[in-house]
Amino acid sequence: MPGSRDVTVEVTVNGTPHSAEVPARTLLVHFLRDRLGLTGTHVGCDTTQCGACTVALDGVAVKSCTILAAQASGHEVTTIEGLAQAGRLHPVQQAFWTEHGLQCGYCTPGMVLAVRQLLADNPDPSDAEIRAGLAGNICRCTGYQNIVAAARAAAARLREA
Amino acid sequence: MFPAGFSYARAGSLADALSLLADAAASDEDARLLAGGQSLLPMMKLRLATPHSLIDIGGIPELTGVTRDGAGTTTIKAVTTYRALQHDPRVTAAFPALTDALAVLADQQVRARGTIGGCVAHGDPAADLPAVLLALTATVTLASRNGTRTAALDDFLQGVFATGLAPGEVLTAITLPAAPPGQAYEKFEQPASHLPLAGVCAVVTTGNGVITSAKVAVTGVAGRAFRALDTERSLASAQPTPAAIATAAARVGTGVRPLADQHASGPFRLHLAQVLARRALTRAVERAGAGAAGPDRSDEYPDASRTGRERR
Repeated sequence: MPGSRDVTVEVTVNGTPHSAEVPARTLLVHFLRDRLGLTGTHVGCDTTQCGACTVALDGVAVKSCTILAAQASGHEVTTIEGLAQAGRLHPVQQAFWTEHGLQCGYCTPGMVLAVRQLLADNPDPSDAEIRAGLAGNICRCTGYQNIVAAARAAAARLREA
Repeated sequence: MFPAGFSYARAGSLADALSLLADAAASDEDARLLAGGQSLLPMMKLRLATPHSLIDIGGIPELTGVTRDGAGTTTIKAVTTYRALQHDPRVTAAFPALTDALAVLADQQVRARGTIGGCVAHGDPAADLPAVLLALTATVTLASRNGTRTAALDDFLQGVFATGLAPGEVLTAITLPAAPPGQAYEKFEQPASHLPLAGVCAVVTTGNGVITSAKVAVTGVAGRAFRALDTERSLASAQPTPAAIATAAARVGTGVRPLADQHASGPFRLHLAQVLARRALTRAVERAGAGAAGPDRSDEYPDASRTGRERR
């Protein structure tokens, strides 16, 4: 039999290295939440559609419900808990606060990570480009208007920085 | 949701992957190759796939990247991600239809992980890229312990989740010959999955005011993506007028038995394919620089798949 049913996952999360032996079928989102206690990454649809589980893998936004923890071994993960620095919110987080880009907040960690990615790829997006960039994130509360406003505000703030 | 249990091995090289596949075959195990996992893992979570073992080929350096030779032939290694292709200026310049598709394929997170080879080997009848790759007359390269073979993509695709990938084989690359600039991809998507209810790619060459070559391929409509040969024949030596394009587009489903599911009936998918064929051909002709065919948007209806998703 090639491989093993338990795998050692060595992954750096928010700058801290971790090592754990887990069943091979463990998804990254469950590794983060259940092994490391980082419950800011949410499980929403669990079918690769809603984006609530979005994290950055080697700096690129991905859906952690559709990646095995084993695939992330040897790589770096950034979760919502890793964005604020020295008690200061990341500009995208601050923009969601200022523009009230949330209601219940369930989708927000994924939205923040997704907006961070789309602004890294396109620092000055149109509203249409923001909405296209957020095609992989679903919000059931806001109607998206304030999320788009938050992305726009974050873009302006990051361009000044 | 969790996948059923399996064993996991990460291959460090193509030789390593082939050896692991052979090991699995020797112990009569159902092994699947894992590249980006953006199709396979969701199927495993739904227990639609329950392989005994996964052999992870994602990120193998020799299976990643894009090369181009002097004749303009482009080779895309199998585990190159959609994201890498979308951001590769050589791909954008040479294959605008591929860039069209990559911009509307799934979402940015899925594009960061999903791979072109994984897409082709998966055989999903509703995937975007097979239409584009068929219209660009792609060939696939398949490696096994017995050596390497190539196959036309049109022969490789067989049916719903069925391809010509033999046991013990790894799809290593997709090769595209140089293509004319007159190419475009249009889709109408199912909004939750972003998969096309229908998608059409057109690749057109014009000269002396007529179409000298047209290749049109359709996805999402039948059990596998297919070349719309009747449409192509109808365009041969035709002037690229809106009327000629409309006539050709109406033939896009000739001889095809469309699939139906909870999202769309067969006749609706065929209707979409005809509309999208006209749009794709019109835009391909515009990009070819023929200029004879103005945009024909006279009968467009509100298209939910495009709301807020205009291209740059």
